[in-house]
Amino acid sequence: MQPSALRQNFIDTIREAGLIILLSIAAGLAVNLARTDSIPFVQDWSTEGRLSQDNGDSLAISLAEAKILFKENKAVFLDARSRDLFDEGHIKGSRSLPWHEVDDYFQEALQGMDREAPVITYCDGESCNLSHDLALFLKNMGFSNVKVLINGWTVWIENKLPIEASDK
Amino acid sequence: MNSSYRFFYHLIRLVLGGVFIYASLDKILNPGAFAQAVFNYQVLPGELINPTALILPWLEFILGVCLLFNRWMQGASSLVAVLMTFFMGLILFNLARGLDISCGCFSTDPGDGPMDSLTLARDVLFLILAVGLVALTFHKKNHHYDDPSQSV
Repeated sequence: MQPSALRQNFIDTIREAGLIILLSIAAGLAVNLARTDSIPFVQDWSTEGRLSQDNGDSLAISLAEAKILFKENKAVFLDARSRDLFDEGHIKGSRSLPWHEVDDYFQEALQGMDREAPVITYCDGESCNLSHDLALFLKNMGFSNVKVLINGWTVWIENKLPIEASDK
Repeated sequence: MNSSYRFFYHLIRLVLGGVFIYASLDKILNPGAFAQAVFNYQVLPGELINPTALILPWLEFILGVCLLFNRWMQGASSLVAVLMTFFMGLILFNLARGLDISCGCFSTDPGDGPMDSLTLARDVLFLILAVGLVALTFHKKNHHYDDPSQSV
């Protein structure tokens, strides 16, 4: 192939790819502007931002508050991580409700729970979203007092609070 | 371009075109849920999450349309191969990190199962097809340069 043809190939590819990208940007922005459920172009994705609710309240609960509820046995702790991780170790007395299998486990996990009672969901990692997704799911199901313990598993063991493993 | 090249060229572009359009639809319909899926990957700064969630599905859709209608094939096939490489890298990265998140590849439902080695295998297959399509597209074009009287 001639060098000129090679250059033309390259120019054609870049031109076509550029047009496709420009069209995508235009379509993405225009459709978002036109739709009723549009999302902001820039959003606060910090932990606080993600956990703030429409009324301004935060879904997050501090470790100190969670610890008090734990010691007074006033809250149900729900572990949103996978069942394997739960079996390896979890907050003492917590129930497993893996977010990725929520449809399979929610009836078993939520059995006998009072919908007005405090519920604390947790997973592992500052940006872990499983507990947040689970908390929103529970609120939609009518649980009125749901909180998220951010980075729950890590902060719990760092503070040497009671944990247990599942019997196998 | 002989008939077997032609057959594979059209087969791969139709398959990948369909896959890309199918993959884009749920994301276009649910930008908020897709933004959440993008966030879950934990690779982009917060300012880029929503722009990515708004533009990437349309990029997939337009690429799918280009492939289906056999238009702008050099640019489209190259972008598809780049995107598939990028997606595969992301999946590998998150499998290595052990992140328990949904792929968000074809559905924005966070309740979908977490990504696993099957997700990776599927992406490897699509990447092989995409690279094959790039090769066939440029073969076709170069063939055309060598002998402008022939075309697909």
